[in-house]
Amino acid sequence: MFVSRSMTRKVITIDKEADIFEAQAKMAKNSIRHLPVVDKNNFLIGIITDRSIRTALPYDLFKNPADQDARKKISDLKIKDIMTKEPITISPMYTIQDALLLIQEKKVGAFPVVDDKGKLTGILSVRDLLRAFTNVLGIGEPGTLLCVLVEEKVGQLKKIVDAVTKENISFGSVLVARYWDKNKRAVFLYLLTLNVSRVKKKMEELGFEILNPMEWYLDQLPQST
Amino acid sequence: MKKTGILYDKRFLLHDTGPYHPEMAARLEAIMQGIKSGGLLEKLISVSAKPADLKWIETIHEPDYIQKFKEVCLSGCREFESADNQICYDTYEAARLAAGGVLEAVDMVMEGKIDNAFCAVRPPGHHAESGQSMGFCYFNNVAIAARVLQRKWDIKKILIIDFDVHHGNGTQHLFEEDPFVYYFSTHQHPSFAFPGTGREFEKGRLAGLGFTKNCPLLPGQGDKELKKIYKTELFPLFADFKPEFVLLSTGFDAHIDDVMSDLKFSSDCFEWIIKEIIKQANQYANGRIISVLEGGYSLERLPELAKTHAAALLDG
Repeated sequence: MFVSRSMTRKVITIDKEADIFEAQAKMAKNSIRHLPVVDKNNFLIGIITDRSIRTALPYDLFKNPADQDARKKISDLKIKDIMTKEPITISPMYTIQDALLLIQEKKVGAFPVVDDKGKLTGILSVRDLLRAFTNVLGIGEPGTLLCVLVEEKVGQLKKIVDAVTKENISFGSVLVARYWDKNKRAVFLYLLTLNVSRVKKKMEELGFEILNPMEWYLDQLPQST
Repeated sequence: MKKTGILYDKRFLLHDTGPYHPEMAARLEAIMQGIKSGGLLEKLISVSAKPADLKWIETIHEPDYIQKFKEVCLSGCREFESADNQICYDTYEAARLAAGGVLEAVDMVMEGKIDNAFCAVRPPGHHAESGQSMGFCYFNNVAIAARVLQRKWDIKKILIIDFDVHHGNGTQHLFEEDPFVYYFSTHQHPSFAFPGTGREFEKGRLAGLGFTKNCPLLPGQGDKELKKIYKTELFPLFADFKPEFVLLSTGFDAHIDDVMSDLKFSSDCFEWIIKEIIKQANQYANGRIISVLEGGYSLERLPELAKTHAAALLDG
């Protein structure tokens, strides 16, 4: 659950004296959008993003990336001139949940991860968070997703788990989500099997509703007007 | 009228999946009963099942996997790699016979003894990966047939059409880098169905990029959507790719009465599918089609579905 487990450890960084083109090439080569800027002792001093580069580039270079005059002019500009100083950082002991909430609030694409002295130890990007979430959903493994609607009261999940276990089926993941009806919960079962027809029948016998897949909703429910 | 082969062998019934398993021997009995009651059996040419030569199975499956599968079956264990895969002592032999029977059908088509064939086999194959069983499948019958067509019969371009309601992950992965084997699949959308692959953006890899096409259907969709996909995607593909041979992964589980899916194909739609594929294959592939059974679990519907399927192949 800690950021240290999900972050990218081999961080591609850039020197503050480097020029924009070097940063651009590094991003393109590695398919990344963030380059932490570090000093020679690996202390974080800033971050450069593909957006900060684009903002710094003159129109001439957009029109013609090979325009030598324009390239020469812009090559005087150093990373230190355009980088974001004191970027928002997180600690490797932040949890994934901390990072998810913070990345939404701060509207950034990645957090440099620094130790308590300020040394860069990793980077956590939206991509790392997505990978972790994909993993939580369990969709890397073959299986079938079902959505069971249950009343919001203690003991419902036990009935479901017992019924599925009796069918000798393993769970890939279980998610409990809010539902339109405040007194109900939508339970998403990712079952590692092709054969869910008997489970579906059993759920209905237990009095649960199998929700029509076209009505599944995993995001926040929209405000009713 | 075409010379149509039928592959069926009582030994396919020996693969015993235990009580309550949907992939049961009664499926094949229902299929054969439908074909017999339609008076088709006399018109069909029998294709005999022989155990597939290991050298051909090994063009698709890892030797270690084949050996492990054999040993687990012969040990008397009732489960292989996952609880979905219920097996028995005879499963290995049945799987070899199924693959071997399909290869016999391939040879007969290539030797001109038959024009096309329907292979009523079990266990099915399209989920089986190179080194992994999955979703009731052990040997990937269609994939092995494609390899034999390539290596023994020097067929250059093969089109695999998979209309089972589940995505044929095994077949796709085995040929995703091969530009000479086109994999085309319609299936229930992977976010709503096993095995969770077969998304629209899976289009093949490296040299095979652009030679895999996945057309997922949403829960509740049926004839109208399927026909639209065939008209706009599959038929133009015949004209572009010009396959010399067509292999079908035939699953009847997208039928409205099949409890294994949320798609709603009518019986007529399945007849339309095979008739339209035959038309295209006649134009581009010399009519060479081998249809291999994958899923389809409604014992009430399988007789009529198999009957119309075989009748269409005969009518050619």
